[in-house]
Amino acid sequence: MSWAFLLQTLASAAAIAILVGFTAWARISRAPPKLDAAGALRVLADEFPDASPATPWIAADGAGAVARSGDEALMIFRLGDGFVARAAPWARVAASPVVAGRLTVRLDDPGAPRIRLLTGDGASPFGEGAAS
Amino acid sequence: MKAAFDPVTLATPFFIVAIVLEIVLARLGRARAAYEAKDTAVSLLMGLGSTVAGVLTAGAVFAATLWAHQHRLFDIPMTAAWAWVAIFFLEDLTYYWFHRLSHERRFWWASHVNHHSSQHYNLSTALRQTWTGGVAGTWLLWLPLAFLGFPPAMIAIEKGISLVYQFWIHTETIRRLPAPIEAVFNTPSHHRVHHARNPRYLDKNYAGILIIWDRLFGTFEPERDDEPCRYGIVKNLGDFNVLRAAFHEWIGIGADLLRVRSPREALGYLFGPPGWSPDGSRQTSAMIKARWRARMQEKAAKPAEADPAAASETV
Repeated sequence: MSWAFLLQTLASAAAIAILVGFTAWARISRAPPKLDAAGALRVLADEFPDASPATPWIAADGAGAVARSGDEALMIFRLGDGFVARAAPWARVAASPVVAGRLTVRLDDPGAPRIRLLTGDGASPFGEGAAS
Repeated sequence: MKAAFDPVTLATPFFIVAIVLEIVLARLGRARAAYEAKDTAVSLLMGLGSTVAGVLTAGAVFAATLWAHQHRLFDIPMTAAWAWVAIFFLEDLTYYWFHRLSHERRFWWASHVNHHSSQHYNLSTALRQTWTGGVAGTWLLWLPLAFLGFPPAMIAIEKGISLVYQFWIHTETIRRLPAPIEAVFNTPSHHRVHHARNPRYLDKNYAGILIIWDRLFGTFEPERDDEPCRYGIVKNLGDFNVLRAAFHEWIGIGADLLRVRSPREALGYLFGPPGWSPDGSRQTSAMIKARWRARMQEKAAKPAEADPAAASETV
């Protein structure tokens, strides 16, 4: 690797930093509104059109939701100004621990290995006695 | 492999100015462009990383191309106008098949998926380029051009022209161009379809510069006003980690290969369509499309079931 290439790479990195700063300053993107049941069902219908989700559990900060559909848990969570969706066996999600106030679901998925959703009271929303 | 005349290097300042302009126009409400700072950072870092990764494999690519050219069938002069016309079409045809392969077979999808991993579609998305294309070996597809007799520099320049062309079509700012242009060239409208994850739009519009290849090989899908594009991949990434964007599908392949029970499974995981699994528990594009078609048919049939009179009228 030549010095010229190194210089070019460093200059590119600086240009990236400036462009990203400029993008942040421009504030073009807007976070989606906090999810409620109807909003969550709309997103779930887009992401899982074949499923029939039950009434979703909504994360305390409105940034995610989980709904049961048969033996599956359908999950959505906010990323930037959009949402990411995943499905997992219901039993696994229901048994997932709450870590630092967040329901923490581990997935065998290198694209999204962990989903963390804020619980209101630090208890699992799907634990014993909880609605499912 | 870089020619003395490198279209991409020459165009880089234009790329930056165009991105700034698109952001400014979007900020002023004069253009439709969704920019999210972290998403933009991933796109631009992928572009920078791609340049670095390209340098690491450039020697092997150049040596192979040079070797192919040394065993060429014809002497094609770089100074002849007909040669430039010929390589324009042949390189674009090569790009079409490279791009189709990169979507339809998981091994090559693993190196291309990062380009589609943004949920946004703007000029910065164009720079979200692969880090692992050299390792995936898709550059081999261009070797026949050198075997035919096109000089390596000529191939490199034409590839650069194609890459530069494809920058400006990554935008929502331009809706549709005049019909004759939409008929022949890859345009923002056609390429939006390519980046969409709607079942209707999956695995369509692979074109580089000319959309004629998609029309010819049956992969063309026009953008519909009644079905806005939803960008990204079938399973969007869970964060803005640039390493995840670059390597997640490779990691997925590795994990699957650790679980295989037969050579057939290994081949399926490596070279089957993305989403292939031995038990069909995952979804390929074809499966997603089939379920979508079934839903559409079901939806279309429902009014007829509800109102038999209406059904008899439509038969």
